[in-house]
Amino acid sequence: MTAAALSPGMAALVLFGTFFALLAVRVPVAFALGLAALPILVIEPRLSPMVLFNEMFKAYNSFILLAVPFFLLTANLMNVGGITDRLMRFSRALVGHFPGGLAQVNVVLSVFFAGISGSSTADAASQGKLFIQAQVKEGYDLSFSIAITAVSAVLAVIIPPSILMIVWGGVISTSIGAMYLAGVIPGLLIGLAQMATVHAYAKRRNYPVYPRAGLGEVVRSAFTSIPALTTPLIIVGGILLGFFTATESAAVAVLYAAALSIFYYRQLSMRQLYTAIVDTGRLASVALFCIGTASVFGWLLAYYQIPKALLANVTQWGLGPIGVGFLIAASFLVVGCFLDAIPAIIIVGTTLQPLAASVGLHPVSFAIIGIVSLAFGLVTPPYGMCLMISCAVAKVPLRYALKDTMIMLVPMLLVLCAMIIWPEIPLLLPRWISPELLK
Amino acid sequence: MTKFLDGYHRLLTWVLAFAVAILIVPVSIQIFSRFTALIPAYIWTEEMSRFFFIWMVMIGAMIGVRERLHFDVDLWNELSPRANAALRIVANLFVLGFTGVTIYWGIEFTKFGWNQTSELADLPMWLIFIAWPVAGVTWLLFLIEAFARDIDLYRRGENLGGNAPEKAL
Repeated sequence: MTAAALSPGMAALVLFGTFFALLAVRVPVAFALGLAALPILVIEPRLSPMVLFNEMFKAYNSFILLAVPFFLLTANLMNVGGITDRLMRFSRALVGHFPGGLAQVNVVLSVFFAGISGSSTADAASQGKLFIQAQVKEGYDLSFSIAITAVSAVLAVIIPPSILMIVWGGVISTSIGAMYLAGVIPGLLIGLAQMATVHAYAKRRNYPVYPRAGLGEVVRSAFTSIPALTTPLIIVGGILLGFFTATESAAVAVLYAAALSIFYYRQLSMRQLYTAIVDTGRLASVALFCIGTASVFGWLLAYYQIPKALLANVTQWGLGPIGVGFLIAASFLVVGCFLDAIPAIIIVGTTLQPLAASVGLHPVSFAIIGIVSLAFGLVTPPYGMCLMISCAVAKVPLRYALKDTMIMLVPMLLVLCAMIIWPEIPLLLPRWISPELLK
Repeated sequence: MTKFLDGYHRLLTWVLAFAVAILIVPVSIQIFSRFTALIPAYIWTEEMSRFFFIWMVMIGAMIGVRERLHFDVDLWNELSPRANAALRIVANLFVLGFTGVTIYWGIEFTKFGWNQTSELADLPMWLIFIAWPVAGVTWLLFLIEAFARDIDLYRRGENLGGNAPEKAL
């Protein structure tokens, strides 16, 4: 490393300077990351632009990332195949009579959806169409409706299965089974926090309620939803029992959703199937393309040992596990405002890992703190995919729903703080069900 | 020109759908062969799925440029239609720079892999590496079209149809 032409400081300046300058003129994130790496690859005599393609190829040539298109496809199949409708009916029977009935249904359906699909963007897109207009028609404010759809969509990557956890497991080698189990309690807590927020809003603004569903309706709707609701058990159980790997579990989710739609609910036409597949290809590949160029960016950061230089100061502060936990959450929250979650894991996750390890933070706690913070980044501007999608569905600019989104984030952040102060919260379930994964 | 690009675009979309649909096959074989003796446990399933996967990503990235699917960060609030068009031209000039690099070095990259074969199925590696130069040339075509459109929109002071974030759908 002695022959490097650029000092780590210089290299960091070029990388981040170019990246942010390009973002400012609306160059797409994926291209901005690749272009920012380019000057360094040209200047540094030991590197060449060939590194760009080599690292991109290495990033895509990974079996793990196959989970991304599979989970998107699962979600798209659920929507066109009638699974989402069944779950919606069940959610309404369960919580429709709470204050803010339809908004409560919105949150509960996100929890169910999260248990089947691992993609928040898919959740925001489908529930945006399902709820925003319907809520406004019933007298809810538009900005509230957009905000609750966006914030409840983030549950999809926290409650297993989760694309982010699979990527995290691949990049930072943490047990995916353990992360899946660890995500359950934080996910449910965040869901409860959102329901409490809806309750408070509904009381203040007199939002409507549905009449309480009779026991018969609850049982009937539960019965039609059972096949769909067993998906998380199949996926998580299959991984824990060693029947299939995390990536294969995503393929199982696709096959199961397709089988339910075709043979059980019998709602899937060939035309819809084709649309679901093409939409999956579009969204998955632009997200994945970005991961390729982010890997090059991350590779260069590691080449110049920039993370080490950044963390050299932090280790002198003498933070304990809780202090480091807050630092990790803050870093991911800030980065999550500007970057997609997967590149953020590649760049920031690998940077912070030695710090987390140095204070004895459990790798699974570290992962959950990181993933929950990044999930919140999905609704923070300027780059908050879920909020962008919800606003796009409602055809309003992102600023419109910003205030309500920020209000709803406060209780969610309290849950995150609780997890940092008591790192045992996420570890409870994996410790109980399969302690050997935490070794 | 537009007609040709429309046709090419449709072809790419079709190949993309094929790549997504076919991805599920080798992974399923991999799982089922573990539990039944009916299907032998082929060793090439994993490699094959990875190869289709790479092509899927690159084709999606090609289509993404024409459909404006690649995510960007919007730091500007409301700009005039002219400023929007000008900004799109500037941003696309940078994408054009990346396209140039992808074509030139992508060809080098393909040459580099000319005599290599894959570890498991013995496939020639250039079949994969050529995805980059193909992407470069495709981007070039789509960018030329975008420049012509944006210059026209700038002259007339009109906005691009559709809501920008909606492309995320």
